[in-house]
Amino acid sequence: MGRIKPSEELRDLVYKCTECGNCAIACKFLGNLEPLEIIMRLREKLVKAGFGPMPKQEEYIQSVKDFNNPYKEPHENRTDWLPKDIKIDSNAKVLYYIGCTSSYRRKEMAIAAARIMNEARIPFNILYDEEFCCGSPILRTGELDTFKQVLNRNLDVIESKEIETIVFSCAGCYDTFKVDYPLYRNYNFEVLHTVEFFDKLLENGKIKLTEKIPIKVTYHDPCHLGRNAERYEEWDGEEVHIMPLITMNIPPKPKRTGKRGIYDPPRNILKKIPGLKLVEMERIREYAYCCGAGGGVKSAFPEMALDTAKLRIEEAEDTGAEVIVSACPFCSTNLQDGINSRGSNLKYYDISELLLMAMGLEPEKLKHILSEVD
Amino acid sequence: MLQKQVLENFQKIVGPENVDDSEVMTNAYSYNWCMEFVNSSEGKEPIPFSSIPKAVILPSTVEEVQQIVRLCNQYKIQFKAQSTGLGPWNQPSSENCVILDLRRMNKIVKIDHRSLYAVVEPYVSGAQLQAETMKFGLTVHMPGAGPQVSPLASATSMNGPGFTSPHTGHSARNVLGVEWVLPDGEILKLGSVGMKNDSDWYIGDGPGPSLRGIMRGWAGAKSGIGVFTKVAFKLFPYPCSTKFKLSGNSPDYEFEIPDYMKLYVMDCKSYSHLEKVFLAIEEEEISFICSHLSGYGLGAIFSNSIGSLMDKIPIAGMLVPLVVLIAARTKREFEYKQKVMSKILIDFNLENVIGSKYTPNSLFYAEALRSNLGLHGFIATGGFQSSKGQCDTVKVCVKTTKESIPLKKKYIKKGVIGNDFGEGVWITSYESGHYFHIESPTMFDQTDEKSVKGMAENMEENYQFDLLKHLGAPFFVEGDKMHDLFGPEMMNYHIWLRKIKKAFDPNGIADSGFYISAK
Ligand SMILES: Cc1cc2nc3c(=O)[nH]c(=O)nc-3n(C[C@H](O)[C@H](O)[C@H](O)COP(=O)(O)OP(=O)(O)OC[C@H]3O[C@@H](n4cnc5c(N)ncnc54)[C@H](O)[C@@H]3O)c2cc1C
Repeated sequence: MGRIKPSEELRDLVYKCTECGNCAIACKFLGNLEPLEIIMRLREKLVKAGFGPMPKQEEYIQSVKDFNNPYKEPHENRTDWLPKDIKIDSNAKVLYYIGCTSSYRRKEMAIAAARIMNEARIPFNILYDEEFCCGSPILRTGELDTFKQVLNRNLDVIESKEIETIVFSCAGCYDTFKVDYPLYRNYNFEVLHTVEFFDKLLENGKIKLTEKIPIKVTYHDPCHLGRNAERYEEWDGEEVHIMPLITMNIPPKPKRTGKRGIYDPPRNILKKIPGLKLVEMERIREYAYCCGAGGGVKSAFPEMALDTAKLRIEEAEDTGAEVIVSACPFCSTNLQDGINSRGSNLKYYDISELLLMAMGLEPEKLKHILSEVD
Repeated sequence: MLQKQVLENFQKIVGPENVDDSEVMTNAYSYNWCMEFVNSSEGKEPIPFSSIPKAVILPSTVEEVQQIVRLCNQYKIQFKAQSTGLGPWNQPSSENCVILDLRRMNKIVKIDHRSLYAVVEPYVSGAQLQAETMKFGLTVHMPGAGPQVSPLASATSMNGPGFTSPHTGHSARNVLGVEWVLPDGEILKLGSVGMKNDSDWYIGDGPGPSLRGIMRGWAGAKSGIGVFTKVAFKLFPYPCSTKFKLSGNSPDYEFEIPDYMKLYVMDCKSYSHLEKVFLAIEEEEISFICSHLSGYGLGAIFSNSIGSLMDKIPIAGMLVPLVVLIAARTKREFEYKQKVMSKILIDFNLENVIGSKYTPNSLFYAEALRSNLGLHGFIATGGFQSSKGQCDTVKVCVKTTKESIPLKKKYIKKGVIGNDFGEGVWITSYESGHYFHIESPTMFDQTDEKSVKGMAENMEENYQFDLLKHLGAPFFVEGDKMHDLFGPEMMNYHIWLRKIKKAFDPNGIADSGFYISAK
């Protein structure tokens, strides 16, 4: 580093970014400028210089090393979420990768996803005690060495099985497997988020929606599922000096513009739920406002994460919706914190929970939600 | 860094979270666009940083600004204000300076759609204000810097031409009432807002003699004469339907072009012809944009990446292009404007290439409505700055263009500035041809030391050249050295400017590095 030496002050600024990627998709005007990658490289530099990650993030990285999850939860409790009546097929070609947050904190997401797959008669397997943290929270802090170890271990485990498709209900795990893993190591399976998977199942009639949910819902696009879920395209061109001071990428270098994020599948699902009305917020899809939890900000700067969530909740309230829905356990936690802190009347549900209710599999919950929004 | 006691006293005014004197933050505020070649001109290392401020302070009200300024006087620390922070010269010029970042003062105070003016605080951007004024079928003048910058900064403190200047004028001439914290901490209200009874913002002159000229002169005092906390300025009819539908992704947005807009790009082929066509069109008072750009510049405003710039060879080959955008709110008005243009095309034997030889991306029209074309100067080499910047008759502007070509070519040949064949200028009319502006956007590479040094030399030589050839004062006459260079050739204005500085800032507390000192 040049003019400014690495310091705690610098660290505190650099780590306040949620790495939501909005800057990167809003600014593709100049040559090779990639603002999000600048932040990521800066974090890697701070780690190398001994100043990053933030102390709270170091704690959870250590927890991943010790417990295989960032929450210091015993590894043997990883499948505690799994209800007895869920059928798991150890020969299935579909793997459901639950992720740490859905396993320990947002179990309702894991349960809903598993029940939907059972009901649709999709055989699926899980990794039980061979499932570890995907590495996302580590990667985002710039701690590349540990991330690479985690990545290699995960891919070794998965490749030892005959898996064709991995389904994720966690947007963070999904993004990490889909976009980040291939930058370090290629693999030969398909990765899908549950919203993509369930959208297809609805399309081909494997999921049937029987219940009416007459409520107004707004959908929050998680950054990991939206603009950041766009793979880097390979480019082996070169920067050519075409005249003094002017260089050009030949052939043109593909840019990640955010438009290939997963935006329609969740909306398709919601629109198919009988009686449900989808009302959109002002900033959606690749221009969605971040919930505030990403990039390790929720643990390092909880106040800032909460303030951001409150802004997003205010935007959701403005739509007149009764319920805000998303598809990411981090957004879930932070937006619910935002709702509570604002004293908002909005209710939060994961999209798979709503789907489950519309399938008639959660009559009690459905009754509850209807009474709540009455 | 500030002494502990001083820091605490600033904190008492705005709260501890709104004062920062850390190394990291203060260094960030010493960065600025073009500082590389300014440093190079001054014989310093060509880095993009100026002096580092002692602290950054974020006031939220005029009273807080006043208290900060008073404290600065008490401790003999200079201050430098900035609004949206895109302008060059918003950084301190000495180590004994604090930055007043006015981003917390971000309110649109008033839109009077009947009397056609708005009142804003410093951190309101042109785009924000335009979005609100569009609801009344109105628009605001935005400088060529773009919709992201503060109309307040442009109106009170810095320059002011824009792409829509034929219709929306020049920032300096649009100013009405002003709220101004003087360098000694007194609050002065200019114009009707200063009246004792029934004060309001609708006029900028009086009570008593008008101070609008003293406040900013032509180029603006760049914070050297106090802090502006509110300003009223004129609004203008939005030129066409206010439907603004944009889709797609950066940089390839799509825009639904509103009804009744038509673009003309014509090759005038010679500068003498350009002069006549300019005047003929502007006399008719029909244009929203009326600009001459070089063939290269034309390619640039229609491109949103270096790759797409290379596709523009057919139009970039034009010799002396003129770009005219007409827009109307009714069919009848549109037909009238088109008829006038048709007649001018016949009279001057011109062809409009738009629609026949070239069709621009729809985004161009959105950027035209939002004054967002300046940004295109960065596409090719990553950096640009303009020499020249004169406001004068069209004759002088065209003369300046012609005569400056060999000079620019000299630096192109050295390989230190981008190749626009020496013809790269922007000439626009103001207020339907009332007067004109010329600047010479010059591309360089900020990351290339040779290019930065070459750019610095190019700017210096241009100053001498403009003086020698009597082409008027450029945009950037900043600081004592430049005023002392140009003043004697221009009715000794610098002597008067110094008197103003002395009268308003006896203690020299407003940082004058880019204005003039009282010395
Ligand atoms: C690509 C590009 C194109 C440009 N084209 C044009 C152009 O066509 N026309 C034009 O006029 N300018 C142009 N500029 C220059 C400049 O950005 C504009 O003049 C703009 O209005 C500055 O606004 P800002 O809010 O970003 O200013 P800031 O950076 O905040 O400030 C600009 C100057 O005004 C002073 N200042 C700002 N606010 C206050 C205040 N409240 N009180 C006292 N002093 C204050 C600052 O100290 C500084 O000296 C261009 C800049 C760029 C980057």
